[in-house]
Parts: sequence; structure tokens; C-alpha cells
Amino acid sequence: MSADTSPPEDPGGAAAAEPGDGVRPDDEPRPATYYHLARAVLYREFLIFVRYPANAIGGIVVSLFFFAALFLGGQLLAGQALADSIEGIVVGYFLWTLSVGAYSSVSNDIGSEVQWGTLERHITTPFGFAPVALLKGVAKVVRTFLTSAVILAVMLLATGTRLSLAPVTVVAVAGLSIVSVLGLGFAAGGVTVLYKRIGNWLNLLQFGFVGLISAPVFDLPWTRVLPLAHGSAMLQRAMVDGTRLWEFPPADLALLVAVAGGYLAGGYLVFQLATRRARRLGVLGDY
Amino acid sequence: MARSAASASDGPRKRDETRSADDDASTDGLTGPPALSVERLTKRFGDGDDAVTAVDDVSLAVERGSVVGLLGPNGAGKTTLIKCALGIVVPDAGSIRVFGNDVGDGRRAAYADVDAMLEGARNDYWRLTVRENLRYFATISGVDPDSVAARHDRLLDRLDLADKADTPVRDLARGMKQKVSLASVLAGGAELVFLDEPTLGLDVESARTLRAELRRLAVEEGLTIVVSSHDMTTIEAVCDRVVMLSNGRIVADDSVEALLGAAASDAVRVASPDLDAEAVAGLREAFEVLDVDREARPPAVTVAAGGDRLYDLTDALRAAGVTVSDIRTVQPDLEEVFLERTGSDLGAPSGGDRR
Repeated sequence: MSADTSPPEDPGGAAAAEPGDGVRPDDEPRPATYYHLARAVLYREFLIFVRYPANAIGGIVVSLFFFAALFLGGQLLAGQALADSIEGIVVGYFLWTLSVGAYSSVSNDIGSEVQWGTLERHITTPFGFAPVALLKGVAKVVRTFLTSAVILAVMLLATGTRLSLAPVTVVAVAGLSIVSVLGLGFAAGGVTVLYKRIGNWLNLLQFGFVGLISAPVFDLPWTRVLPLAHGSAMLQRAMVDGTRLWEFPPADLALLVAVAGGYLAGGYLVFQLATRRARRLGVLGDY
Repeated sequence: MARSAASASDGPRKRDETRSADDDASTDGLTGPPALSVERLTKRFGDGDDAVTAVDDVSLAVERGSVVGLLGPNGAGKTTLIKCALGIVVPDAGSIRVFGNDVGDGRRAAYADVDAMLEGARNDYWRLTVRENLRYFATISGVDPDSVAARHDRLLDRLDLADKADTPVRDLARGMKQKVSLASVLAGGAELVFLDEPTLGLDVESARTLRAELRRLAVEEGLTIVVSSHDMTTIEAVCDRVVMLSNGRIVADDSVEALLGAAASDAVRVASPDLDAEAVAGLREAFEVLDVDREARPPAVTVAAGGDRLYDLTDALRAAGVTVSDIRTVQPDLEEVFLERTGSDLGAPSGGDRR
């Protein structure tokens, strides 16, 4: 629409022009910056979050129900042993709800966007898909933190557990931990683009996160390079022992960042390869 | 992939460059590169015996500001051609340029000025309102939504969506949703717009409104529009030029008038209650009788009688004592033109079920 032959007018008068009167108002499009992109993507997530709270509330209720089953069942079976480890369980469960939230929101989101025909529009954006996907990921993580915080609060109240909740430390460690899961979400989303049915099965992966969160990182140090495992151990120390972010050895922090970045990059690479193959096969945007 | 990941750190869109190039074009008339230039495009799906050639060595140029129809049955290659132009499908051979930018490599620049409404897709977010969709997709297409707010209002006015601007799309009727989908495609100011079966599934009235709006947008906004459809009413009403596709190949490419004109036979249809078997037999002696419709009320006969032969025909009819109740030249439609060129009609798939 920029083949606008009318001379430049003063910008203030733009809205005054009547439609269809032959005078083209001077609302020449300005290019959007990454700021506009971030605002648009985050605002959309926000709108859907506040406009359809049932989704978020439903997720919280289901998570709490599972936790209640775990806690009450555990009390019956393990009694005192459970009481001794309740802090660890609360922290682990908190991280698990975060992981599931981040993973499923990213992979389901890609699946839905394929169906809606909106994924192509994000791939064929002049920004490129990477920044859009990253911003969407950030939005999902923020959203997941909000719902998981509610779950954590209820768990703490219900079990009478006390944990160290230094916000910077918890958000940084937990956030970096689930960035690796975000990468897995992108990979799963990419596979879904190619093979629609397999995508549904990949949702089962989220139960595997339990294994990663409770990985024996002290006995088997190599498990630290798996997603979540190292971050989970650090989060336990932060929340149970009260270790602050700057009190961790730099090597631990470096590994946390490296694992997060590695899986995010790897997952994005899988997504890129999958969409490239989908473009060759002509299945991108087949409904 | 390496390329796009590496260039992810670049700015979003070289809009300034594109803009200035376009401004030059608008002052110099139609000089710049064409809106769409397709060269020797080929795309096959599948391997071996199952392979289907969806697009077969197609070359095509679309001038700025024109409205071109892609006409062909399902499976003719229309959608594949469009998806190749959008970069959603990677061709096996050939190249596509959008305003001079190669879709194959300079992808970012090419994306800035092209958008599409694909068949059967929502293309927008039903949980957002109409206006939120327009703002979102304008941004995604690389345009600051505040800078085009007035344009969006105008667009909504035109499409009769102004009252519904703050309604979530999911609460709208189907025809409205289709218009929102179109509006969201136009929201980012793309200058080349592909519309794949835009009137599919719409009722007669909505389809008519949409056709009128498309025509108006093309004329008033100077958009270049490529409409794909197997519905020739839409194509005839909206397009300046028609490209007919069959089995992935172009079988005709000309203006609507030229296609209809070339196909315009010399046929004249005469209806009269006096057209009994004897009268028809008499006509057959002097003329080529193309068709006899005895079921029509009154009965009708179609005779090849172009130019001066028309006078001979009327003389012959008078001599045979036939009182003419209706006489008209037979106007071919695009469907007949298509049939003539390909031997198959538009309703029939032209091979494979891939569109």
C-alpha cells in the first residue's frame, strides 16, 4: 500500500481524512522494530492469559490435585520418611510444573499454529522466525512462572513447609533450568510440523521430566548435561539450603547456562531442520 | 537454515530500501521489477512412480497493480505455485522473485511485501478481537501498528467490519471471519497479496461483497492481487488477466476479454416455437448447426453464423416461416474456454489430489 502518490501531509491530519474520498492520509507505514515485535507477541500472550483464565486455572487445579495425591498417598505409605524429604519433593514438584508448562505450551502452541495456518505467517515474517519463537518462549516461561508460583504457594501452605524463596536466585536458577526444556519443546514442535500424529505422543515426554529432575547428579555426574538435572540439583540447594545465586561455584553457574543455551539452540536447530524439510515436502501449512 | 539463523541478528526488514524503490516505481509508472516473476518453476511431490509434478516448468510475470486469476481444477498446481512464491514450499527448480527479491535466498526482503490468505486456513487468532489481529499481524509483517492505525480503521470500514472491531473473531459469522482473515493479510501493507479460494464456503451474498471489495482494493490501493480459484465467477468478476493451469502447466494466459473473445465462436442461438424438425433440417442444409435444444421453451437452435452470415440466417428463418422469439450471440464463459483448451472441465481434478 505504499505506492502512495499523494504528497506528504502533516502527520497530525492523518485521521481526519474520510475513507474513499480520494485523499490518502499521511499514515505511511513505519517499520516495526524488535521492540514492537516483543510488545505484540507478549501482549498477545497476556490477552489470552487474562481473557481465558479457565485454561490457567484448570492447569493449576490439575497440578494441585496430583500433588495432593502424591502428598497424601506418600504420607500413608512412607510416613516420617516423606516428612523428612517433603522440602525436596515440593521443590521438585515446583520445577516439574514449570517444565511441563514450558514444554507443553511451546510444543502445543506450534501444533495449534500449524492447524490455524498462523505458523507460516510467523515463518514468513521479515523478522525471521527465531526472534518471534524466542519471544513466544519468553512469554510462555513468564506465564508458567505465574501459575507455578500459585502452585508453590498452595503447596507450602498445605504442607507447612518452609523454603528459601530469594526471588532472584529462584527465578534465575529455575528459569535457566527450564530453558533447556523450552528447547525440547521446539524440537517436539518441529517434529509435529512434519509428522502430525507423533506430536501427540511427544506430550508423554513430560513424564520423563520427573526422571531428569530427580537424576542422581552426585553419583552420576554426567547426568548433569541432561536437561533439568543440574538445574534441579541447584534449585534444591537454593530453596532448601538457602544458597544464594552468587554463592554457587562459577563452574556450576556456567554449566547451568551452557546446558540451557545448548538445548535451546539444539531444539531450535531441530525445529529449523524440520520446517525446512516440511517446505521441501510441501507439508508446511497442510491442514 | 544456517543462513537464516546467521542473519537472525540483522534488522527486521529493509523497509526503507524497499520503500524508496517502490516510490521510484510509483513516480516512473510501471518501470521497476514486476510484482511477481516466476521462472521455470518446477515442483514434484513424492518419489518414483508415485511422484506427482504439481508445478511443471511454469514461467509467469505479474505486473504491479494488476489482478491476476489462477484458474484451474483442484490439483492443477495453483496452491503449490502460491506456496512456492511465499517460500512455504521450496521448489525443485526455477526461481521466484517478489518485487525483484529472490524468495529463495534474500528471503527476509521478499517477505516484507507479500502475504497470503491460504485456502481453508484461519490465518488469524480467533481468541483475539478483529483489531487486535490486525495490529498483531501488521507487526509480524514488519510494520509498526500505530503507524497504520488509521489505515486499519479504513480497512475495517471498507470490509464492513468497523462495528465488530472489538469483537473476538470466534464470535463472528463465517463470512465475517473470512473478511477478518483478508483484513489481517492486508493489515501489514503487503503490496502483493495471494488469495487462495477467497470465496470458498461463503454464501452468495458474502461472496459478492468480498469480490466487490477485492476489486475496490486493487483499484484504490494499487495492490497487486493474485486470486486462485476454481470458481470462475470470482475470477471473471475480479481479475484483469487469467492464467489457466492444468496438470501443473499454464494452458492459457491472457486478459479476460481476450480469452473470452478468442473463444467467442460465431455461434448464434435462435429460439422459436416454429423450430420443428423440418425447420431445423432446412437450416442444416445451409448452416453449421452446433446444437439443437428441443427441451427449451420455446425450442432453440445454435447456429454458426458470424458476421454477414447472420443476415443469411435471418433470411433463411423468414423463408422457413420461423417467427423468432429470441436471438442472441452465444457468450462463452471461462469454463468453456478452459474446457476448450484442456479438454477437461474445472470441476474435475486434473491429476493427483494435491492442490
